Amino acid sequence: MSLGLFVCSFCGRAVFPRRLLCPDCGGSEWRREPVETGMLEAATEREVRVGAVRTPLGPLAITRIESGAEPGAEVSLDQDGDTPLAR
Amino acid sequence: MTGDRPIARIVAAVETPYMRHPAEDVTTESLLADAFVRVLASAGLERGLVDGLGVASFTHTPDRAIDLAWKLGIRPRWLMDDGNGGASGIQLLQHAMCAIEAGDATTVVLLSGDHFDRDSFRTLVDNYNRTTAEFLAGIPTGGPNVLFAMLTRKQMEANGLEREDYGRLVVAQRRWAGLNPGAVYRAPLTLEEYLASPVVAEPLHRLDCVPVVSGADALVVSAAGEGVTVRALRALHNHDGQEGDGLQTGIAEFAGGLWEDADAGPEDMDVVSVYDDYPAMALAQLVDLGFVPDGDLGGFLRRRFEDGALPVNTSGGQLSAGQAGAAGGMHGLVEAVTQLLGRADERQVDDARLAVVTGYGMVLYRYGGCANAVVLERS
Repeated sequence: MSLGLFVCSFCGRAVFPRRLLCPDCGGSEWRREPVETGMLEAATEREVRVGAVRTPLGPLAITRIESGAEPGAEVSLDQDGDTPLAR
Repeated sequence: MTGDRPIARIVAAVETPYMRHPAEDVTTESLLADAFVRVLASAGLERGLVDGLGVASFTHTPDRAIDLAWKLGIRPRWLMDDGNGGASGIQLLQHAMCAIEAGDATTVVLLSGDHFDRDSFRTLVDNYNRTTAEFLAGIPTGGPNVLFAMLTRKQMEANGLEREDYGRLVVAQRRWAGLNPGAVYRAPLTLEEYLASPVVAEPLHRLDCVPVVSGADALVVSAAGEGVTVRALRALHNHDGQEGDGLQTGIAEFAGGLWEDADAGPEDMDVVSVYDDYPAMALAQLVDLGFVPDGDLGGFLRRRFEDGALPVNTSGGQLSAGQAGAAGGMHGLVEAVTQLLGRADERQVDDARLAVVTGYGMVLYRYGGCANAVVLERS
């Protein structure tokens, strides 16, 4: 149960979603860094609940929300294929 | 710089009547061809004089500008496709001006337009870019509405705004649309009706979202003839790497330079066209341009929109006139040029001499990554 962020192998800068070159150092090699929780910053609903989750490494991920979590709450993070999920 | 360097002017601007429910035989290329014929007629130019062509469209694919040149029967010396949606109109203009001033072409037609059916629209929003297809479509976000719903909420909280504050902008634009026979929604709208429109994704309701239409827009940029000149043009794309709050666009970073180049300021503008994919983003661009120096967004909406005091999006904007895909990136330019040429009929702003137009869009992940703006002058 985690969401894989993309961390630059050279300088450690985290991004989500993936980029081609690191915004900071220009590096082109990435490792996946799993994060298990984040802070729900915003949420709305259209067919499904959708949120913006601030991850502990900095990047904001747009996720499906599979719980009743409201903005301000800590949520657990997961992914279904490439699709980020929050609960 | 030599004295005989050509000066590029916009000599004609047209829009095909936008259609909510187009006839069966309407296609993207038929709309682009319609706009081409109309804009040449408006400029009083023969087809054979056209030696430059720029095209912006999402649905023209797999065809390119060269396919259109062939089918329209022109022999361009300068040819350009631009896929940058809400920024494409100003983007094409930026390049066409350089082409004319460099002598690469003398008479450039710029076209933008799209035709959608339900399936092609869904395909577009789910595959808007690779990032959307990989990371958003599976949620499913179903397009940008949910993203801008969250941005709108953030803008509301940061500025103490309520839905009715956005309603003032939407109602004001509908008032202008009532004077524009080309707008798809022209019936007068009350604030109560705005507030009662069905929810799309809180806090966005239906009247906060642009109606998708089929249509096309066109400009002629020429080295000869009278028309509209460009006093200043600036652009900044991917200004924050999608790592900001999304409520400040690239316009904020270049507005000072834009006004300096134009030797004018926001309050000198007779006509304003801001890219209104959502009321919150129209407002954000007005703030970025410097129209709200005291930062009181609620007060600005109450004071400047209640009686049309500030002529913003005088066509009705995309919110009332419709969004014809990439043509949304030229819609505001066409309206501003129409006003400056004195051809806006019932909605003509008296003695319109200066206008500012913005482009914005291309949602990369959370919000638009493109931003540009131009200050235009009646010559």
